[in-house]
Amino acid sequence: MKRDALKALTNAHAWVGLIISTILFIIFFAGSLSLFREDIISWERDPYFTVSDDVENFSFDALISQVTQDYKVHTHGYFILQRPTAEQPSSNIYFEEEIVTQGNLGFKQDSQLEDPVDDHIDRHLIISPDGTILGDGNAFDWGNFLYHLHYNLHIPQVGLYFVGLVTLFFFVALLSGVVIHWRKIISKFFQYRKDGNKDKLLDAHNLIGVMGLPFHIMYAFSGLVFNLLIVYQISYAVALYGGDQAKLFKAAGVVDVHIEETNIAVPVQGIDKLYLTAKESLGEVAITRISIDHFGDESASVTFRGDDKSQFSTRKEVTYHIVSGRELYLTKNNYDNDIRGGLAVIASLHFGDFAGYSLRILFFVLGIGTCYIILTGNLMWLQKRANLRSEKQNKFGLRLVKAMTTGGFIGTIFATAVGFLCARLLPIELVDRSDLIGQIFFACLAASLIASLLIKAQQQFAAIFLKITALALAMIPVLDWLMLSQGIVVMFKAGHFDVVIVEVMLLSLALCCWLVSSRLFSSTETVVNEQPISLNELAENSIAEVMPSVKVIS
Amino acid sequence: MWSRTFAGFLLGLLISISVVLNLNLLLPIKEDTMLLIGLLCAFPIWAGMQVWAYSFPSAKKAWLKLTFVLAPSALLNLLLLSLR
Repeated sequence: MKRDALKALTNAHAWVGLIISTILFIIFFAGSLSLFREDIISWERDPYFTVSDDVENFSFDALISQVTQDYKVHTHGYFILQRPTAEQPSSNIYFEEEIVTQGNLGFKQDSQLEDPVDDHIDRHLIISPDGTILGDGNAFDWGNFLYHLHYNLHIPQVGLYFVGLVTLFFFVALLSGVVIHWRKIISKFFQYRKDGNKDKLLDAHNLIGVMGLPFHIMYAFSGLVFNLLIVYQISYAVALYGGDQAKLFKAAGVVDVHIEETNIAVPVQGIDKLYLTAKESLGEVAITRISIDHFGDESASVTFRGDDKSQFSTRKEVTYHIVSGRELYLTKNNYDNDIRGGLAVIASLHFGDFAGYSLRILFFVLGIGTCYIILTGNLMWLQKRANLRSEKQNKFGLRLVKAMTTGGFIGTIFATAVGFLCARLLPIELVDRSDLIGQIFFACLAASLIASLLIKAQQQFAAIFLKITALALAMIPVLDWLMLSQGIVVMFKAGHFDVVIVEVMLLSLALCCWLVSSRLFSSTETVVNEQPISLNELAENSIAEVMPSVKVIS
Repeated sequence: MWSRTFAGFLLGLLISISVVLNLNLLLPIKEDTMLLIGLLCAFPIWAGMQVWAYSFPSAKKAWLKLTFVLAPSALLNLLLLSLR
């Protein structure tokens, strides 16, 4: 590659990396934690409820009649029931409760009825393995909060696409990084010069980047598929199917079982019997999810779905018309559809759900490693700027990047630690508990950014802030055992170790924060002035590898 | 930098759509496999074009070179769609 091209690419790599760094850090950090989403949900919720594994007595019909007694289920909304699994001792029901607005004076007041225009509220009930309703699941949403933060940053509507765009530029930074580093990718594979701070940052950046390359490519690609697939979906539909999206979905193996509503009210019953029929039809599949469409209408249908453990990433389902028991759809002709199968494989790779905890731990380590790559990238940029003559320096830009790095990166970890603390400390009866935890998270993040902008001694601030974050993270397991030891022991006896898994994860993060604070932020700025690194120098190194005879004049 | 970003973003997207469409129209394989191949190729092409745009020292050159790639591919799209 020509030296000008390599230099332009090196500059672009740094520029793109810097622009997306804070958002990418949040995406990767929240994503790494989300690999243990179910464990986090269980960590927050299950110590409060007595766990018993009496799954045999579970009756869908009894449960549904209890729900319909207590709530007015919205016919046009969703109704989803998750059965207990080996990992998840309790099951969950998600549905929309109809709100009768003006004129229904007898309707119970609810704190969630804030929007008078909305005609439903989302309900989430926790069900014990024997079918008893244990409580409101919406109070235990911290795990889901982190997951939503990962894929849409809690930005309504456009958040998904915004994260998609950031992922696209992450892919670009990744590919450009490979091109820049290509000649040294083998020869310097294990190079880590720990003595010089300049070398340490660059080598850590390259080392983790190269070792995690397949992981990064997989995440960049699968993230794009999840968040920006719509772009190609529209273009395919327009160019290949004359604008008919239904034809595209059919080709992609999507089957839409739809019966027109009749508006004749019929109670939902007979699910237990249909469940047994579904088990026979689906064979090896362990049914984990049951959904009902048109709940309470004569046209209502029920879908049983689960993963076929005998095949990699294969989901199967069967749908019945509830009143007649007629089979409407059974996965057979389309489960091996390439698009359907391909997307399922991409999803399995992204969520790391096909090889137990060992794979998820590996992905977690690589995810946190990526956060370190982003951090080292920003620190190298800051080193370069610090070296410029003061008249060439953009003071505001420098300060902003420092604030983004300290306040954005460490602030995200700190806000997460505070979120975990709140999830453990706030009483479960508190109204809108989960919303409050979310607001506290964003308040902490905003406060960190503001504090970073105001404080001049960034290095000391970063070092202290990281240590405070480490202590906050380490405090969570202590609180667990002080507050809920009895519930945790009951979980252990039932064979559920989610609390320990989350505690180990938090302690590892605490250790990482402490180490980064004492090893990286204790000396960086001194070295910035002593051994500045420049992008030109980076480009020069790369170019020198490509064209040893050419000297770059900068 | 911004101009090269827009060149890669916009023309890269159009090139990826166009090349994938050509693959879909040319490959004699079943529909779902064809769609999957398109999906697997589309994003890497888009990101690759963006990287290529950044490798030019000037934005003008980036717009020009990417247009040179897009034009024949788009013409082939038109030809294949009209023959369909």
